[in-house]
Amino acid sequence: MPDSDFLAALRALREGGVEFAVVGGLAAVLNGAPVSTFDLDIVPARDEHNVARLLRVLDSIDAVYRIQPLRRLKPAASHLSSPGHHNLITSCGPLDVLGTIGGGLTYEDLLPHTIELEAGSGVRVRVLTLEKIVALKEELAGEKDLAVLPVLRRTLEQKQRGSG
Amino acid sequence: MPTHGVKLLQAWMTDPEPQSPAEYSEDGVDLTLIRWMLSLTPAERLQFLQRQVNAILAIRRLNAGQ
Repeated sequence: MPDSDFLAALRALREGGVEFAVVGGLAAVLNGAPVSTFDLDIVPARDEHNVARLLRVLDSIDAVYRIQPLRRLKPAASHLSSPGHHNLITSCGPLDVLGTIGGGLTYEDLLPHTIELEAGSGVRVRVLTLEKIVALKEELAGEKDLAVLPVLRRTLEQKQRGSG
Repeated sequence: MPTHGVKLLQAWMTDPEPQSPAEYSEDGVDLTLIRWMLSLTPAERLQFLQRQVNAILAIRRLNAGQ
């Protein structure tokens, strides 16, 4: 696997005019939680124009489905318009494009629960708030979610106490 | 009558460092690590994660096939 470059992927998406929100582990890290992750999870808007922009960016970073990388299956507009999850590998590392998260929440549903943060080098991205990340993980309550919840909850508490 | 030193020791034993925040939460989470992460900017947090991930990937490559 090549080195990952989260910032390069975020920059490509921003420069390509893609509307998206960063969710998952990277959103938790950007919010200040000391957790680790190897992939970038995003929820994009799934209207026709945004999907077209997203496809152009994915093509530029050589995105193919991770499940069978040797077959080099590229995502198509019909795939990205669906509410499903697309686990891709790109020249910037693993990228998960999620049509919806939680109980079917779309980009538009998540938008009020996002904040804009600078990820570096002037790249500003919409990121799911820590409050929403905690709420979603409490709702999902899978093993992976429960494992990380104590750290996320304590980070939220410390933030609310004004440490960051 | 206790000396000044004994009084200080008694006070410390009752409440060792009243100003010092807890290092761990009741559920065992390292709060010092959280406070440190929160002291960074989001860009610095991303840089730290990036270095961590790439270091792990490099170790994996060095040990590929084992």
